[in-house]
Amino acid sequence: VLVLTRRPNQSIVIGGGEIVVTVLEVRGDQIRLGIKAPRDVDVHRDEVWAELQKANRAAALTDRSAVGQLDRLRRERPPGPSSS
Amino acid sequence: MSSETETVPELHFAAGLPGFPDARRFALVYWGDDTDSAFSILTSLEQDGLEFLVVPPVMFFPLYAPEIDDATVERLGIETADDALLLVIVNVPGDDPSKATANLLAPIVVNRHTREAVQAVLADGEYEIHAPLLQD
Repeated sequence: VLVLTRRPNQSIVIGGGEIVVTVLEVRGDQIRLGIKAPRDVDVHRDEVWAELQKANRAAALTDRSAVGQLDRLRRERPPGPSSS
Repeated sequence: MSSETETVPELHFAAGLPGFPDARRFALVYWGDDTDSAFSILTSLEQDGLEFLVVPPVMFFPLYAPEIDDATVERLGIETADDALLLVIVNVPGDDPSKATANLLAPIVVNRHTREAVQAVLADGEYEIHAPLLQD
C-alpha cells in the first residue's frame, strides 16, 4: 500500500490525472474527501459497496418456483403499507 | 440484431452489476410472459443461470421517490423523467417467499430508448437495502 501524507486542500492524482482526491477538511476523527473522477468511474463508500455486492449475490434467483409463490401471495394481500 | 433481441428487451449494464462485474447484458422478460405482471426476470445473457427478480417500485412502494445523481443521469443520457425506467431487485427467500425484500437503496435505472442501465446507489440513510415487499 502506498502511503502519502496530505494536508487539507492538498490532493492526490490517480491515473493520468483523471482521478483527483482532495482532502477538504479534517475534523476530529472524520476526514472529508472530494473526489473528481470521470463519470464512468463509480465511487462508493467501501462498506456500502460491500453491502450492495452482498445483497446482489444473495438476490440471484436460485429457485423460480419461489417467484410463483410470491406472485400468488401478492394477489392475496394488499401491496405496500403506503398505498390505497 | 436477431429477431429475438427485437422482441426481448436487452439491457446493457456498462459497469456490470455490483457483485457480478462481468454480467453486462441482460434480457428483461415479464414473469410468465404476462405483460400485466408486476414481476419481471432479468436474465444474464453471459453468465449461465444468473437471473434476478425485479419489479417497478411504484407497484409496491408508491411513495418511493429516489433522487438519482447527476452523474448517473448523464451517463445514461437521460433527459426527462419519461426517458427513465426504474426497477428494483427483489430477494426472494426460497424457504419463505413472503419474506421477500426489495433493494430500494440501489435501484436499477434504465434509459428506455437506449436500454443502457445502471444500478445506482442512493445517498445514505434514505432507503433500505432490504425493504419488505409485502405487508405483514
